[in-house]
Order: sequence, then C-alpha cells, then structure tokens
Amino acid sequence: MIKHHPSDEMLLAHAAGETVLGLAIALSAHCELCPACAAKVEHFQHKLAMHHLPLPDQTSEAARSGAISESVSKGSVDQSGVASGDSAWNSSWDSSWESQDNSLDSLFDAITATPAASAVETSAHDCSTVSLATEVKGFSYSLPKAFRSFVANPALASSWSGIGHVSRMRLDTRDGKARSSLLHIAAGGEIPEHTHKGQEITLLLHGHFSDEMGDYAPGDFMVTDARHQHTPKTLDGCLCFTVVDAPLHFTKGLSKLLNPIGELIY
Amino acid sequence: MQIFRQNQHGSHYDRSSSPINIKGMQDSKPDISEETLRHWLVAVANHRDKSAFRALFDHFGPKVRSFGMSRLAQQGLAMDLVQETLTTVWTKAHLFDTDRGNVSTWVYAIMRNQCFDMLRRVQHNREDAFGDDIWPLFDVDTHAGDHGDHKLDALLNQYLSKLPKLQREVVLGIYLQELSQQELADRLGVPLGTIKSRLRLGLEKLKSLLEKHHD
Repeated sequence: MIKHHPSDEMLLAHAAGETVLGLAIALSAHCELCPACAAKVEHFQHKLAMHHLPLPDQTSEAARSGAISESVSKGSVDQSGVASGDSAWNSSWDSSWESQDNSLDSLFDAITATPAASAVETSAHDCSTVSLATEVKGFSYSLPKAFRSFVANPALASSWSGIGHVSRMRLDTRDGKARSSLLHIAAGGEIPEHTHKGQEITLLLHGHFSDEMGDYAPGDFMVTDARHQHTPKTLDGCLCFTVVDAPLHFTKGLSKLLNPIGELIY
Repeated sequence: MQIFRQNQHGSHYDRSSSPINIKGMQDSKPDISEETLRHWLVAVANHRDKSAFRALFDHFGPKVRSFGMSRLAQQGLAMDLVQETLTTVWTKAHLFDTDRGNVSTWVYAIMRNQCFDMLRRVQHNREDAFGDDIWPLFDVDTHAGDHGDHKLDALLNQYLSKLPKLQREVVLGIYLQELSQQELADRLGVPLGTIKSRLRLGLEKLKSLLEKHHD
C-alpha cells in the first residue's frame, strides 16, 4: 500500500514537462506504480492540453479562469483552476501564422512526404519494457519504463558500485547540481543517521525500509530536506531511486568520517 | 520547488487580440470540436488524407508554435517543435486509439515530450531523447490491464517480438490495431493472400512458443 505521494504541485509540473529529468523519471516511475497519481497526471495533462491547444469554443471559457502559472505558484491546483488560457495570446499567433504561407506549405509538404511509422517499431519499443531489469548483488530487479534509456547504457549510467551493504548506480541526467541514482541496500543494511543539505527525493521501487518516521513500501515517494534527520534501515533489502540536490551531510559520531564519501553513496 | 524546474525562458510577446481564423476551414466548419479533430485524425490514420491533415496542421500549428516560443524562446526552435510534433501526428495517427484518447491531449503529450527533449538539447548539446520513455504516448500496459490478464499479455508481447518482422507486422495490425485483412493488405501494398499466409504462420509460431513455455 502506497502511503506517500508527490504533491499535486509536483504532479502538475510533471504533466507540464517542467521538472528536471531526474525528478521526471521519479514521478513517471511513481505513476507507473500508483494508479491514483497516474490518473491525476492524466487529468492535469488534459487541462494543460485545453490551455495550450484550445478549441475555438473553449477560449472564451478558458479566459475567464485564472492563469495556470498562478495556480501553480500558489500551490492551489484544483480541478477548475488548471483550465485557464488567454484567448488573445493564441489568436494573435494564429494570425501571424497566416502571414508566412510559403514556408508553411513547404513544411506541410515535408511532413506529408514522411511515411507512416510501422506498428512494429512502436510496439517493439513498448514490448521491450517487459524485460527492463537491473542486476545487483545477485538479485534482478524490474524497473519502470522511465529508466529504459539509462539502464544498460554505459554512456548514461555507471555500473553498480559501493561499499558494504550500499550499492549505487549513478544516472547521468545532467541536471546541474541535482544527482540521480539507483540505490540498493542489501538485507540488514542501514545508512548512518544523516540530514540533508538540500532536498532529496526517494522513490522506493522494491523491498521495504523504515526510519524514525515510519515504514515504507514499494511505490512510496518521499521528499526530505534539512529539517529531516533519519537513519533508514532495511530488513529485507531494497532498491530506491533518489534525486538529491546536495550531497548528504552526516551528523553523528564516527559516521561523520563518511562525509567526504557522502557523494559516493548518493 | 525551484531546484526541480528546468530553466524557463521568459516570454513577452504581443498579446493583442485578433479574430481566430482557421485557414481553409471557413466555408465548411467554422467551429472545431473534439469530434471534428477526431474525424480528421481518423481520415489521416485510415487514408493518409492530406486535406484532413492540413486542417489539423492549421489548427495545431500556430498553437504549438506559440507554446514553443514561450518555452524555447527562439522562432527557429519553435518551428522545429511544430515540425517534430506534427510529423509524429502524421506518421503515428494510425497508432492512436481514437476510442479512448482525446486528440488535443494526445497532441499536447507529443508536443510536451518533444519540447522537454529539445530544451535539454539546447542546454546540454546532446541528442538524447527521454520524453517518450517518461510519458509513453501509447500505453500498451493500460490496455493489457483492462483485459485482466496483464501477465499473459506481457508474455505474449515478449513472444511477439520473436516473430519475424513481416509476420509480426500482420499479427499486430489485425489484433492490436484491429484492421481488417484487406485494410492491412492495402496499407502494406501486398496481396490479400500474402496477409492471410503471414497471419497463419505468425499465429502458429506464437502457439508453439506458448505451448513450449507452458508445459
């Protein structure tokens, strides 16, 4: 049972394609495991479609409701607030679209000269998700679709490496400061008590772990920051996906020694 | 939440109003409804109908470009987004399930995925494409779930991938896209008899694969 979900604000940013890649992967993977959040994203996607690609009879209605960016920044996204638009915005572009007919005709010809995609290519792409998996410490774990381009591509993902119970695969998402990794903690393992300098997203993919705040099951999506201090441990072993925007900062005793290698773990 | 956002360019374009004008459609269809869009997309899917595609092109083109301008902040890139998005509409119209999905929402998803990748390309100068992995445009899993036997469908998919390309194409066309044998023959430009024999061979192979692994 999934108890921890991303906020509506995050799900909306996801539907809009506005997050960094690492977070987009985490949200997509969570939605693959959580039908409730998948339905929300679908709903937001539809609202955004009506906003950006309105039908002529929708523009007046859309113009009456608040601007989409406002509802996002207020964090008060609800069913009605997302459907927004600016009819003048779209129509002014429609008219300048008209004024470049020649180049539009050649664009149209170029597109329609392209052959239809075969059903096979597309289906083969989808079929390949069935066997998407990664192996670490003798266990094989299936992975959500969002990892497809990374796993088994040495140019985008490191191989598994680590110390003791903890193994890590770093994904090269090029998200500036934010770092994305798959993290495996073997059965009985724990990560020394630590807090976070910045924000950390943890999506539990397989197995269970617990910390001072509770127990977590596959699909759980946690956001932690400098206010949280915890010691995650796992009895049965687990696989997580993490996105952190700063290296972990360890707070307690000997484990402070781990600070220099904090980056190695996450 | 700032750290999660990709860099966005500000946008300050002229918002002065002018009447909406759908080129070429003034005479027959002054109003475009979801129904109209669906009708056009089906015509493109089934008959590669260029005039229907022109109508979609003129409806979505300016809106996609305006979205591209606000996200990518360059006229050239915005037109690239138009080209990429509408090319996908043209080449994959027949793969879209018009009974389930909303046309505008589908086009939005194509545009959003493409824009996500283009923005990263501008920032990192890399050619990777992740959008369609993160937001799949054709969700076979959803369909499988509806039929209640997810595992078997997954297995079938796996076996399907073992069929020779020509047989797989026919099996998928008939069972996944639900085309008639004649439609498939027309589309692939081969005689009806060829479709029948490829289908028979494909199904026999599938059957033997299933039997082998279920004993």
